Parts: sequence; structure tokens; C-alpha cells
Amino acid sequence: MSNVKSNQFDVIVAGAGIAGITAAAAASHRGLRVALVSTGPGSFVLGAGCVEIQDMDWTTPSLEEAVNFFSDLTEIAGCGFRGGVGEARSIPTILGSFQTVSMAPFYMWNGDPTAADRVAVVGIRGLSTFDSSFVADRLAYHSSKLGQRTTYIATEIKLSTEADTLPGTLQFANRYDRDAGFREELRAALKDTARAVRLLILPGILGMKSGWNEIEWLERELGCMICELPTLPPSIPGMRLFNRLEARLRKVGVEIYTGFPIQQLQIENGHCKGVLLETPARPLKVSADALILATGPFSGKLLGTHSYSFSHDLRPVDSSGAVIANNVFGAGAILRNSSARGGNAKAVLSGYVCGMLAAGAGVQYAQR
Amino acid sequence: MRKDDVLLDNCLKCSDCNTACPVVTAHPAYPGPKRLGPELERMRREGIECDTEWVEYCLGCHRCDLACPNEVNVSELIQRAKARHTKTPVRKLRDFWFARPGLLGKLCSIAPAITNFSLGLKPVRLLMSGAMKITPERKFPAYTKPDLETPVPNAANKGERVVFFPGCFIQYNQPELGRSVLELLQINGFQPEVAATGCCGVPSLANGDAGEARRRARENVESMSSAVEAGARVVTACSSCGHMLKTGFGRMLEGDAELEKKAEKIAANTFDLAELLVAQQDAGKFNSHFEPAATKLKLAYHAPCHQKSQGIGRPWYQLLRQVPGIDIQDLNAGCCGMSGTYGFKKEKYPISMEVGSELFAGVKDSGAQAVATECATCQMQIEHGTGVKALHPVDILLNAYTESVRL
Repeated sequence: MSNVKSNQFDVIVAGAGIAGITAAAAASHRGLRVALVSTGPGSFVLGAGCVEIQDMDWTTPSLEEAVNFFSDLTEIAGCGFRGGVGEARSIPTILGSFQTVSMAPFYMWNGDPTAADRVAVVGIRGLSTFDSSFVADRLAYHSSKLGQRTTYIATEIKLSTEADTLPGTLQFANRYDRDAGFREELRAALKDTARAVRLLILPGILGMKSGWNEIEWLERELGCMICELPTLPPSIPGMRLFNRLEARLRKVGVEIYTGFPIQQLQIENGHCKGVLLETPARPLKVSADALILATGPFSGKLLGTHSYSFSHDLRPVDSSGAVIANNVFGAGAILRNSSARGGNAKAVLSGYVCGMLAAGAGVQYAQR
Repeated sequence: MRKDDVLLDNCLKCSDCNTACPVVTAHPAYPGPKRLGPELERMRREGIECDTEWVEYCLGCHRCDLACPNEVNVSELIQRAKARHTKTPVRKLRDFWFARPGLLGKLCSIAPAITNFSLGLKPVRLLMSGAMKITPERKFPAYTKPDLETPVPNAANKGERVVFFPGCFIQYNQPELGRSVLELLQINGFQPEVAATGCCGVPSLANGDAGEARRRARENVESMSSAVEAGARVVTACSSCGHMLKTGFGRMLEGDAELEKKAEKIAANTFDLAELLVAQQDAGKFNSHFEPAATKLKLAYHAPCHQKSQGIGRPWYQLLRQVPGIDIQDLNAGCCGMSGTYGFKKEKYPISMEVGSELFAGVKDSGAQAVATECATCQMQIEHGTGVKALHPVDILLNAYTESVRL
């Protein structure tokens, strides 16, 4: 029988955003027994997980290592990120503007105006959250400001919907996952447009669980690149990224506790022994030798003070500068005292470094 | 301000719940938990008429609750809408019985041979399909004499007293599983007794009968309270019963301060059987005299939704993977779609099967010889959808012990 106690881990990662997932994967990769506790997919429902490294100092120690680790992680998970340190691409948004990112999932990376000279923005009849003419007009304007001569054509396709429903991205995404007939219908609807252009910009509908195989299939069938944009919540590309990464973590043995917030950190004499989860009937105690907090910018309640900050080695300190717990590390947006911009880049970097710190790898992190 | 009001305003309409809902995923016409829970509740509070048949289609799986980043009690709000929903007369009659599996069990087990024979007849099933809107596609579970009794305490066994809450399925359909539970408890140092309780009330709530659920909560609390006051813990082997004991009794008895307090005490002392065994193992008191593996058994594990909603980790999976010779894989393939009586309803049968399709594919892809899952209706659905044998983990674990420790 096993000597390891139940709910006992080397490290607990709290929060399942980009920072928490990266931290959990990094710690697990170093052979640690990892628990990931979270209250669900959080902000993945709003965005797409693009990474903006360009605002950071590229010489930050571990940045390249962290970015490479994240690239590998997403690749194996079937939602591979393209780009990396030193790269910058302009990705369209549903408001018809461009955002500059250094990394993005493969199903968004192709949106750069230099990627194609003729682009079709494809709307779906009745889908009110994506206006293809508006997006195409604005993209034409913004790309010309970037000095590009890309032609954007607005077009609209018609897709079947379930009786008595309005077209919605979640409906289409679920059907893309489950229904081969729907995938074929979508392929046929896009076929003619795809012949005339090099890139199709679509609202995010290509599946909640799909990965490289399922999306690349459509590109191959159409002979045309695809860029998918997140619409109003739920963001299909964001949820897909979450689903794929979570499945990957399960596969490598990370134990996942979803749906119950942390009631309390069990800190005694500056050392954290674990967390109490707010579960039905009585709290569940999850214990570990280290805790990585990736719980976002509003984590004062957990640390027992709203005037916390983080030391250069990512440990939480109170207003007097005293370390709150020596085996707790912060990753992601909780590092609010940091001046570095770039939300997800910081999440990847600090998540990776925390995973290494928890593994005792002693990676030096010079915070900016 | 009530806590409920705060929770309702916590809904930011982020749609996390809709992405987690098995019915939304399988059946796009379903409006989803965001609409049927918080949005309808807001309208109800404004006095706006908003009844819709769709509330009946909620599985009660609680996945929306777990997905919500802001702790909104989404499924409870849908449950309230269900309780106010006006049904057609036929469905009302059918759901009256589905809300009372305890009473149904008592009647059907008076002469189980006759019941089982009749329920197996095609004309009877067609009649039930036409008159009661019960799908003819499924077989009813066989009823048997409810003969589960407290085992005679072993003279040498001075173990901790625990009260086993059997629930309807073990009482009226599988008392032999109940005996396995009792034996497993005994060989792990407990002195179990069978609680004189009825249905937990989950089926009542699922069928929109809050009054019946309250009556069940009251009777069960009164029946178990003295044992719990005397220090006994309560054990469940059905994940839905466990979920109800932990989360539902107190809520059902709101307004009766004394009973509510008793219910909270029962909740705090209720343990899923595997949760208890894992705690026993942590304390170094788990009996691990397993037979050395003679044959390899390839198993797939399915975690019932009401196991996930209890927030106890995966204790059965953790226990089974330690048994010599067992190779077990957690399928993590979503909800099975059965949801107790839901899958028996004629109009809901196709959705039930569509919800389960991901799990069915997972079972088949796993190549497992059998599926382990601790919910009786999940077992029914898995066998119905895949033809692969589904077992309660209790039986697998008990069979793994060497002959010398068996009672």
C-alpha cells in the first residue's frame, strides 16, 4: 500500500489561470506530487490566453526557459502556441483593432495582416456577437495604418441551428466537437470563400475540446489559413485552451480539486502546512510542503492582510516587510507590486519560476 | 440582506456555468443554467411570470455550481424554479411516484417476483410508456425483499460505532451490496449498524417535490439524530444520498431551528464510505490484507456528479488503484446523463443518452473489462449505453481481500 497520505502533496497550486496551470505543470515536470485547487476556469471564459512578452525585458532570467516550457506544454496539450521571446505579431480583435502579442495559440496566430494579402472576415447569419462588415472595415483601416495593403472582404455564411434557438458560439462549438455532420456543413459553407482568399477570420466556434487535429483538418480541407477570434463570453478559444491544458495536467498526474474556494491558508509560525477548502459539510484539508498562490489580484483575504506585497524571491510579505510564510510563492496577477506589464507573459514566467522554486531548483528570479 | 441575495448579485453572466452544463453541451436548445437559475430567479423576485418547461430538463448534477467562479448557487435556483413549475397531469402523476422511490420500493418489494416479472413484460412496458410516459427502452432494476439488517457485532470487535444510511437502491434493489458495505466496514475496524431511514429526498427535489423532500429530511434527521448525538458517524455508499445528507437536510429544514441544528450536526458527521476508509488508511488503520494479484483486472472509473459535488477528492479511485492486480483509469468523461429518474422519462430519454455519449465512448476506448462507479443509476446508464459491466467499488474492494480476513 502507498505511504503517501490522501490529500497530501509536495505542492499545492491555488488558481487555474495561465500562471497556476504553468506552475502546476512545471512542478509536476520536476517530479513533484501536485494538487491544483481552483473555483473553475475563471477568466478563460473571457479571453484567449495570448501572451504579450514585448513589454517585458527579454533578458529577464528564466524568461526564455519559461516561454519554451509553456510552448512545449501547449503543444503536447494540442493547443500549441506559436511565437516566442522577441517575436511580435498583430492579431485582430472582434472590435476590428489589432493587438500586438508575442505568442498566441495556433488558431489565432495567423491573423497578422502580413500573413495574407486577401482576407475574408466570415460572419454567421443571426450571430449578433460578431459583425463581419464592421470587423472587416475596421481591420482594413487599421492595417493600412500599419502600412499594410491587405484586402479585407466581409462575408456571411448560414449555418443550421437547433429548432427554436438563435445562433450562438457555444452551440456551434459544442456541435463542432460532437457532430461530424456539422463539421461538414461548416466546411461546405466556407468552401467558396476559402478559394478566393488566403486567410479566413472566424468568430470562435471551432470546438470546446478540439485540438490541433480537429482544427487543422478544416484548414487542410479548405486549403486556407484560419484565425479564430474570441467573442463575448463564453470565449470558445479561451475555454478550449483551458480544457486542453486541464486534460494535460490530469494526464501527468496532477490532482485537481475544482469548485471549492480556499477558506483558509494553514499558516503557523511563518510556515504554510496546507489549505482548507470550503467543501460541503466540513472543510477539506489539503496539505503540502509548499503553496503557490496564483489566485489573482484580489487575494488579501487569504493572506490575512490587504497590504501584502512580494519579495524578490516571490514570497508574500506584509506591510512591515516580514515574510508571511516562507514556503508560499506568488504567481501571476497576485504580484501586483511588480511594475512589469504583460499579464500572461508575467503569468507564464512567474508560474514557471514558482514551480521551479517549489521543486527547490533555486532558479533566480530578478523581479522587475 | 440574505446570503441568497448576495449570491444572486454575484452572477456576472460570465457563462462559465453554461460551458460546464452537460445538457447545454448535448442539446443546444436547452437555455442553460445561467438563464434557468439566476436570470429566472431575478424575474421571479420582480413578480414576473417566467415558468418554462425547460427547468424540468436540469439534471441536478451541480456542475454549474462547481464551475461558477463567484459561488452562485445556480442549481439550487433551478431547483426552486422546478418546484414552482406547473406540469401536465400525466407527468405530474408519474413524477409523484418518481419523487417517492422509498414508497415505490416498499410496494414493489411486497412480492418482488411478481413485480419483476410484470415490469419485464413488453406489454406492461408499452403501457407504462403510453400512459405514464416512462421510456420502454430501459429495464427497471429488479426489486428484492428488503432484508438488510445490522450485523451481529463481533465479540472481539470493539470498533467505532457507525450508522450506515442505505438509501432506496440498496434497501429495495441491492441489499447484498449493503451487506458488502457492512462487511467492508467491519473488516476495517468499525462496528456498523443499519439506520432505520427512508429515501434521502434527492429524487423528490429532482422531480420538483420540495414538500416531499422536506418530509424525508425531517424523518431521516429524527431517525439518526440520537446516534449522531451519541458520537456515531454516518456512512453513505450512494453518492446522491451522501450529497443530500451533507448539503440538503439543513436547507430543507430551514425555519425549524432545532431540527436544522440536528441536520447540520448530521451533515458534519456524514462520510462517504471511501472517504472514511481513506481517513482510516491515513491513520494507519486500513486493512490491506489483499490477495496477491492472481489475474489482472482492467477497470475504468467514472466519478458520479454527486461525488464531485461533495468535494472529497477521488477516494474510491485512490483506494482501488492500490489493489494488487487492478489497473484503473479515471475516465473523466463528464456526466452519464442518467440522473436517477431523469433517464426513465420518455421525453428526456434521448437527451439522457446524448449526454452520456462522451462517457460511453470513453468506456469503449478504455478497453476496460468493467467500470467502477459508486452511483447505482450511473451503473445502469453505463451498462445500458455500452454493454460493459458496471460495478460498485465496494464489491471490487471486498473481493480483493484474502479469504482469511473475510467474515
